[in-house]
Amino acid sequence: MTETELLVDPAVLREQVREKYREVATDPTQPFHFHTGRGLAHRLGYDEAAVAALPDRAVESFAGVGNPFQLRRLAPSERVVDVGSGAGFDTFVAAGQVGREGRVVGIDMTTEMLEKSRATAAALGLDQVEFREGLAEELPVEDGWADAVISNGVINLCADKHAVLSEIHRVLKPDGWLQFADIANGRPVPEGALRDIDLWTG
Amino acid sequence: MLTEIGFTDIAVGEPVDTFGGAGGEKNARAYEVYGYSFLARRPVPPH
Repeated sequence: MTETELLVDPAVLREQVREKYREVATDPTQPFHFHTGRGLAHRLGYDEAAVAALPDRAVESFAGVGNPFQLRRLAPSERVVDVGSGAGFDTFVAAGQVGREGRVVGIDMTTEMLEKSRATAAALGLDQVEFREGLAEELPVEDGWADAVISNGVINLCADKHAVLSEIHRVLKPDGWLQFADIANGRPVPEGALRDIDLWTG
Repeated sequence: MLTEIGFTDIAVGEPVDTFGGAGGEKNARAYEVYGYSFLARRPVPPH
C-alpha cells in the first residue's frame, strides 16, 4: 500500500504513538483515555494467578485492549514474538506459558518501554525473554522463526495494517499461530475522523 | 485482510468492553468500539 493510499502519514502517527506510550511507561497512574494496569488485566479476563505473580512494574503500564491468550494458550517450549511489547506485560505472561525451554522476543519502538521491560525481565531472571527495538512493519526477526505471534492493541495504531500482518506472516513458521487482541468498531467512523491523527491516539 | 495475506482458521472471541468507565468511553460508545481476541494460522504450504 502506498503512502497516498493510507489514511494518515505513518511517520507522524508513529511519533504520536511514541509520545503517548512514553507517558504510559513513565507515568502510568495518570488518567488516559484507556484503562491500565491490574484493573485492566482483570477486566480483560487474564489468568488471575499469572497476573498476581508479576511485580507492579511489570503490570502498571499494561494498556492492552483484549486478551491474546483467550482463544489459545501458548504451549511449553514455543518460540513467541510479541509485537508492540510495551513494558512487557504480555511478554511476561507468555514467558510463564512457554516456560524456561521456550523463547519470547518482545519488540517495541519506544525507548522508555524497552528500558522498563528489559529491567523487569532482568529483575525476574527470565532468561527466555529478550526485548528488541523495532517496528511492527519491519520486525527484527528471521523468516519462519516463531511458533506464535502475539500482539495487543497495537495493529490498530499502525497506519499500514496490511504491511504489519504480512510481516507477522513472514516471521511465523508454517502451522504457526497469530493470536492478537485489538479493537473493532460496530458503526462506521466518518472518513474525516479516520484522517484525524489525534483521534488515533487520544 | 487476514485471508488475503494467507492466514486460515480465523476465529474471533467475544467482545470486551475495553473502554467502559475510562476517558475514551464516549467515543467508544458512539462507534460501538469493543476489544476482541483474534486467532489465525499460517498454513503449511501444499507439497
